[in-house]
Amino acid sequence: MRKEMIVLIALIALAMISGVSMAQDCASADVLCVGLVTDVGEIDDKSFNQSAWEGVQLAASELGAQVEYIETQDAKDYLTNISLFADNGYDIIVTVGFALGEATVEAAGQYPDIKFIGVDQFQGATVDNVAGLIFPEDKSGFLAGALAGMLTQTGTIAAVLGTDLVPPVVAFKEGYEAGARYVNYDINLISTYHPGGLDVAFTDPEWGASTARQAIDLGADVVFGAGGKTGNGALIEVAGTAGLYCIGVDTDQWETVPEAHPCLVSSAMKLITPGVFDIIQSVVDGSFAGGNVIGAVGLAPFHDFEDSVPQDIKDRLESIRGLLESDAISTGYNPGG
Amino acid sequence: MTSNVALIKNSSWLDFLRKTGVWISILVVIGAIYGYLTEPQITTSMLASTLRQSTPLVLGALCGLLGERSGVINIGIEGQMLLSAFTGFLANVYTGNLLVAVMVGVLTGALLGGLLAFMSVTLKMDQIIGGTVINILALGLTGFFYQTGLTTQGKLQPIELGPLASLPLVGPVLFENPPITYLAIILVFVMHYMLFYTRWGLRTRAIGEHPRAADTVGINVNRMRYINVIIAGGIAGLAGAFLTLEAVGSFERAMTNGRGFVALAVMIFGKYMPFGVWGSALLFGFATALQTQLQFSGTIQIPHQFIGMLPYLLTIVVLAGFVGRTRPPASEGKPYETE
Amino acid sequence: MAMQATEQEVRGTFGERLAGFWRAASVPLMAILLAALIGAIILIISGANPIDAYAALFRGSFSNARAIGRTLEKATPLILAGLAVAFAFKGGLFNIGGQGQLLIGAIVAAALGFGLNGLPFIIHMPIALLGGALAGAFYASIAGALKAFTGAHEVITTIMLNFVAINITDFLSNGPWKDTGIVARTPAILETAAIPKWDSIPLGFFIAAAVAIIIWYLLFRTTLGFEIRTVGLNPNAAKYAGIRVARITILTMAISGLLAGMGGSIETLGVVGRFQPGFNIGLGFDGITIALLARTHPLGVIPAAILLGAMQAGSSQMQFDAKVSFEIIDVIQALILFFVSAEMIVRWILRIRGEGDGGVRLSSGWGQG
Repeated sequence: MRKEMIVLIALIALAMISGVSMAQDCASADVLCVGLVTDVGEIDDKSFNQSAWEGVQLAASELGAQVEYIETQDAKDYLTNISLFADNGYDIIVTVGFALGEATVEAAGQYPDIKFIGVDQFQGATVDNVAGLIFPEDKSGFLAGALAGMLTQTGTIAAVLGTDLVPPVVAFKEGYEAGARYVNYDINLISTYHPGGLDVAFTDPEWGASTARQAIDLGADVVFGAGGKTGNGALIEVAGTAGLYCIGVDTDQWETVPEAHPCLVSSAMKLITPGVFDIIQSVVDGSFAGGNVIGAVGLAPFHDFEDSVPQDIKDRLESIRGLLESDAISTGYNPGG
Repeated sequence: MTSNVALIKNSSWLDFLRKTGVWISILVVIGAIYGYLTEPQITTSMLASTLRQSTPLVLGALCGLLGERSGVINIGIEGQMLLSAFTGFLANVYTGNLLVAVMVGVLTGALLGGLLAFMSVTLKMDQIIGGTVINILALGLTGFFYQTGLTTQGKLQPIELGPLASLPLVGPVLFENPPITYLAIILVFVMHYMLFYTRWGLRTRAIGEHPRAADTVGINVNRMRYINVIIAGGIAGLAGAFLTLEAVGSFERAMTNGRGFVALAVMIFGKYMPFGVWGSALLFGFATALQTQLQFSGTIQIPHQFIGMLPYLLTIVVLAGFVGRTRPPASEGKPYETE
Repeated sequence: MAMQATEQEVRGTFGERLAGFWRAASVPLMAILLAALIGAIILIISGANPIDAYAALFRGSFSNARAIGRTLEKATPLILAGLAVAFAFKGGLFNIGGQGQLLIGAIVAAALGFGLNGLPFIIHMPIALLGGALAGAFYASIAGALKAFTGAHEVITTIMLNFVAINITDFLSNGPWKDTGIVARTPAILETAAIPKWDSIPLGFFIAAAVAIIIWYLLFRTTLGFEIRTVGLNPNAAKYAGIRVARITILTMAISGLLAGMGGSIETLGVVGRFQPGFNIGLGFDGITIALLARTHPLGVIPAAILLGAMQAGSSQMQFDAKVSFEIIDVIQALILFFVSAEMIVRWILRIRGEGDGGVRLSSGWGQG
């Protein structure tokens, strides 16, 4: 019995060591390879990981790039995961989320020939092969807040948020509140962050839903859900009650959360997908430059609410958008300052 | 003599508990009425939220309670909830029938209950290991078989209980809820009745306290443990179904977020009594609703993390200050060996 | 003559030892094989090639110095978190709060690491390491004291304190101890506080392994250890034997927390380099798995932690090479734990005759007041 088992173990060990050799065509200069490393979370988070991945996939279909992603399981693996792509000859590596900022810059030093795109990563000092794609989320939130402030009948609007450990969430919130006050100074704003840590704040739809319900019971008739699946839970809850509005975040959530269609009037977007794709293209055509790249933000289309949102609200939003763009009005959000 | 003293002490302690229970209930009612008169909207929203937050905890804790009353510790509630939430959700996606989906969730929980019983009764494995196996397994399986882009058409909607729903305060809080919330409350009463007023209950408590004695009067201890742990698993499955089919409508990996462990705490906190469990789940739900309300109102200018600690600190303070020592069923954790 | 006898004796003991080692190792090895086999079936069902997947997992964890370094790095906090749970079990306590104690240890180590200036490495690093460990000990002793003085069950209090610890560390790293800039994290620790690596091999691993040996010695070779184990087996008997149960309860929790806190310290000082929310997730709960895999034996914790650490270290490679998502690791872990504990099955497969040690019984200590 023992002998048989030893043989068995030996066989399995042999199979493991021999392994399979990988197709290494990324090492060739002719093939454009783009790898993406997610933040802790899933590639289909209906949020930033997913949007960034869609930008990379666009590079596959438009530029013929070979693309691949790795879902990070443990924040301490950021550098390991980046290295997996780098060591396999990838040309461009996209890292998603502010938390990867440090690992990205470190990897950029180790692999100077590879171009890095850091989504949500503000570059304090310019590194030649790192482009930090950042967004003025406060402006996007400002527009959403203005929309909410004009739509509300009860005078109470709510925000159900991920965690303030994540800077973009804070920016969205501050912008949202400033925007609502801008159009309706006496508005009653109720908002709350998830009380848990980073590991649960974005993956707790049940908390999002019951918190949204509590807000609705307090009279809120517009709810802004900004916090991954937690926020999505809030949107779906709002959709269950007729006559209420909800506003999504990051992408046009009309596409990502169909369950929320009954209330989803718009979404406060940051256009990660085109932002990532544009930088990949800049690498291909040789115009890539390190430093910060400021991506576009804005409100998503109204979809089914196109006819029910009054024209004067649309006009007002348009004028606010213009004022924000020209910095004629400020959102008042000033991180770190 | 000594035993007499102990008996008297014991009964006066129970008396005290019963009295404090009554007092606490009266205080809660007065508080609720006062709150309603001064701030009707806030009171209503907070109490409704309290009930909702307590539902998965009540169900999870009832699952734990039934197991431990029968002598089987279950720390796998979290896993049972998670896997049931997942299969219930999948059933909803593919059949679109919510009743079927809830049944699938309950069955999944029961199946995992069966696995726990197999490990702890048949294999005589350590019960804490058995529960941990279920927790990790559920986390792995749901993550591994999770598919992207699945959506459902709907979730369980609130049912208004006729004229009761239009009563002030209690109407919107108690009589305008979705079905699993009602079911959870009903289960508290059913479980209390079953445990303390039926033959099954007597036998269940017997195999938890003194299996040897139960065996000698002809109770099949191990079969009974199997049955009870499977039923308990079904209740945890209902808690899972609550998450995906009633509260949210979609599934997310690891979405139980520790609720199974909180349910475990609620069970011990409730002194292994159905009403005690209900009370402590409501307390925890209330503290959660309160911390949300405090953030909403924004009147207290302290960092929100301190408000976020509230439910947990409150639990510790109440536990240490008022509840104290709990006495679990005597034979739990030990596999029963027939002679 | 005398020489020969000794030699024979030695050979005999060696043979016996080998047999003993085989007895001890055969069940876990078989359990791993069985778990891998069932994992392979699941992989095949899901359309993946199990040999590719396992080969990649192996490559990512043991194929070169860097991979081995990564495995040891992952195993380090797992050893300490596992020891924390195992130690408490020996004292009849179930410490589910390893995660919270670890977080507190990690952030205090970070604060000492960036806050103390001008110390040489030989002083600074140990201070930061022990400071974090002591913070974990203090945090756990809250639950110990509540248990000893009010009877509050440690399972409840440690679960609750886990949530409180998340809030405390979030507040500190996004408030008073926040780094400059918008990211919520503490400043980086100074060079003098960092636990170095020898090539790619983390020295923290050897600290953790040494601690495991110390804990083994403490438990099985000292009076205190005897008292702790006696209380764990039967607190009433311990009381009659003149052991001060309350004191031992608090002490057991404190040492358990010390171990978890040290796990957090080493993460901060040896791997992360600062405290950042989200970087120490799940370690406390892995500690439960490890303690159970090791059957609560302090030395068994080391191989158990290396096994889990290797699987975690290799999971990215597996994802990249074989397109298998990392959750399969959890499934395999659960199965290993199942087969290690369900000795009956494994013994039947191996046809090992006779009873084993009957497995561990931790749950008997579950409810004792």
